Amino acid sequence: MMLLVRCFSFLVLGLLGVQANAANEEPRTKNQEQVAVPFRPESGKFPPLDKSVAYRGELVFVDHATRRGSLRVEFKSEFFRSPPTPFAMLPYGMVRYHGAPADLRDIPLGTIMNIRAFLPPDPKNSSVVTTPNHWYPLPLENHAILIEDEPSLCLREGKTWKLKEIDLQNNQGIVLATRDSQDAAAAKDPEEKLTIDSTTRFWRGRESLSLADLVAEGTWPASGKKSLGGQSVLLGLIWKPCPDGIFVRYHISDVWLDDKATQRAIQSQTEVHKSLIRSRWMPAFVDKVEYGKFGRATVAVTLFGGMDPSLYADFKKDGTGAINGAENTLKHAGGSYGPAHMASKGAILEVIKTAGVAPMGSSGIQVRFETDLIIEGIRPGRVVRIRPSGWPNVYIPREEFLGEGSKIEDRFPRPDIFPIYR
Amino acid sequence: MKIFLVLGSSFLVLCSSSIKLFAANEAPGTKNQEQVAEIYRPQAGKFPDIAKAHAYRGELIFVDHANRRGSIRVAGEGMFRRNDPHPFAMLPYGMVRYHGAPADLRDIPLGTMMHVLAYLPPDPRISAVPVLPENNKEKDAGHYRGAGVFPAENHVLLIEDEASYCLREGKAWKLKEVELQSSNQGIILATLEAKPSGDGKATEQKLTFDGALRIWRGRECLTIAELIAEGAWPANGKKSLNAQSVLLGLTWKPTPDGIFQRFHISDIWLDDASIQRAAKNQTETHTALIRGRWMPAFVDTVEYGKFGRATVTVTLFGGMDPSLYADFNKDSPVMINGAENTLKHDGGHYGPGHLASRGTILGVVKSPGAVPMGSSGIQVRFETDLIIEGIRPGRVVRIHPKGWPDVVLPREEYLGDGPRQEDRFPSPAIFPKYNL
Repeated sequence: MMLLVRCFSFLVLGLLGVQANAANEEPRTKNQEQVAVPFRPESGKFPPLDKSVAYRGELVFVDHATRRGSLRVEFKSEFFRSPPTPFAMLPYGMVRYHGAPADLRDIPLGTIMNIRAFLPPDPKNSSVVTTPNHWYPLPLENHAILIEDEPSLCLREGKTWKLKEIDLQNNQGIVLATRDSQDAAAAKDPEEKLTIDSTTRFWRGRESLSLADLVAEGTWPASGKKSLGGQSVLLGLIWKPCPDGIFVRYHISDVWLDDKATQRAIQSQTEVHKSLIRSRWMPAFVDKVEYGKFGRATVAVTLFGGMDPSLYADFKKDGTGAINGAENTLKHAGGSYGPAHMASKGAILEVIKTAGVAPMGSSGIQVRFETDLIIEGIRPGRVVRIRPSGWPNVYIPREEFLGEGSKIEDRFPRPDIFPIYR
Repeated sequence: MKIFLVLGSSFLVLCSSSIKLFAANEAPGTKNQEQVAEIYRPQAGKFPDIAKAHAYRGELIFVDHANRRGSIRVAGEGMFRRNDPHPFAMLPYGMVRYHGAPADLRDIPLGTMMHVLAYLPPDPRISAVPVLPENNKEKDAGHYRGAGVFPAENHVLLIEDEASYCLREGKAWKLKEVELQSSNQGIILATLEAKPSGDGKATEQKLTFDGALRIWRGRECLTIAELIAEGAWPANGKKSLNAQSVLLGLTWKPTPDGIFQRFHISDIWLDDASIQRAAKNQTETHTALIRGRWMPAFVDTVEYGKFGRATVTVTLFGGMDPSLYADFNKDSPVMINGAENTLKHDGGHYGPGHLASRGTILGVVKSPGAVPMGSSGIQVRFETDLIIEGIRPGRVVRIHPKGWPDVVLPREEYLGDGPRQEDRFPSPAIFPKYNL
């Protein structure tokens, strides 16, 4: 009986709801919205960037071997209470640090990161939670196509920070600054208060300076306020708990005072990433397989984007190489004796640069490759890793390949390593 | 039933044989003493004997800084790359050091080679990392990995990078020769020796470097190209470096040509000024962290008064910058909060100060003589009118003197409302199990 009463109440409330909607909205619009299926990236395709959601937050946790982590997502309330929100990198998702390609392992915990993300392509196989477990307005779009630190965002979007004023007391203080765009028509960001202290690193040319060095030079005051005249710099941002009930205020970890210093940081991070990719191989999507006889096939792959151009330049027509199956985490499918041990070897038939602008995640470079060992891991839509013969032939560490014997957990990492906060 | 009896009988026979084997080879008294001596575990409320620690080193692979645990690829005698990441947990008073200064696990870049001093889990039932057989370090892990790569001693008293290790032990790397194999990569021959002058017996090591190498000199951060331009290093080929004394930051990268274990240089500090600047920066980072998160300590004694009053004596944990200890002064106010072995505050939804017990410092005493590692040797006595369950002898607390900022903490660094077992005693289940 009680059940019937509850059902009836639900029905009445439901009808009231429908009527309320009907009174306020144009029916056609409503129906279209209801029909609209949420956008999810598809396997083997690079998604349109305009379908992604942008947000930012503090990097709190990293599981670099499975390309996932947690961010404390910024929202306009008590930042400190925002529980670390898990994210996973899409296979072609790019990490950028100091204006250069990077891996999650390169990003210091605490760094404020800007993210572009989508809903999970396949929620069943998501390595991070797909439903909210709290009441904070945190995004469900947790599969990242791009995650980048503040200097990377500024360099990519043609922005710089203009320092207006410094107010110092006891080796710590507040900087007033705005993030300005080179595009005069772009909307102006509001002035921000950022904290600074004796941990802040200042980069000038080849020098790494401290706050004390700037004070000693007379560039900054030992105490009190000084106008900085809109000095144009790049900033590295982190977050530290703020006194006085401030909800969201970021902290300056690094200041790049000139272009030379920025270029040096870019160069250093580029070298780190190049070395990583040369040993872990270039990730790619399989576009097409033309099957031949006795296990032979011609395979077309599109190399993932965002790497240093010198890496792509190593793929040359008539060169040789090897290709290995990989997972969405970019882990090699086999590697106990090095990834080359079980890889399919062959010749590069052609390297084609796609005309026009490549979608984010793609290099726009297609490599056609002939092998005499076409295997299950090399099928259209699958992720592979490919290596031109000039790259070092090395073993990779245990956590970066699947190993012998297929454990389902190795291929599809479960989201339950992430704590649930109450 | 019959099978069970047969198996049981075989087990009995094998056990008897083993006992006889031991008895034939060893003096019974010695054996018993060794068995008793082997199982040493730190005790709650006490700083362990450094002589009982097991030392090893490895590559930092994974960090769960909020729970003060992680994984390290331990270096043994076999194929380094095959060693599964080995979970470790920091003891509550366990210290992290980076660039010769106090640090938190969050400060250490993944990939850094770390030196570890560690013990068996103090209480295996609540270990935040997998518990292994006590003699695990003696077992050959198989698959060309050798022994010692999965030690059961995974509760860490000290974890430090190469530069910190060298500074603490008074050692330095002597660079013998550099060989540039291309414009931006090569090999350095070097020995690790006592700093003023070694005995010349140190084994020469080959270390790799590449274009990501950072070379620190005074306030400068140099590249390989700049050393070549200065003529200090050759553009190509070999050059003697005349045992130049430096500090190194080490990482590991996969090595070609079937090399089992060769470490990689991430940083070179060419002079004292440059390492002092690195240490200063890291010290400031850690000082700011501790001022925001409060000083961890053990409760030594509680003298109970009336109506919830008590006089509490705590020993502050060690390894911090002296300026932090200097902030604890007699007659100044203080706040104290219960904490877990992970150093997480028991409460903190409105900041740790919200539910903390308040009081006044009655005295600050520096212990004479040598202090055990993990301890500062500084005891603080204070009186509070709110003695709570979290402030009991042997428990970990965090204490905040006057003058430190009163800030709220990020969500993962306190337990939150409602006691969940998992919050207080993190499960080791997050660590993946690797099969070969």
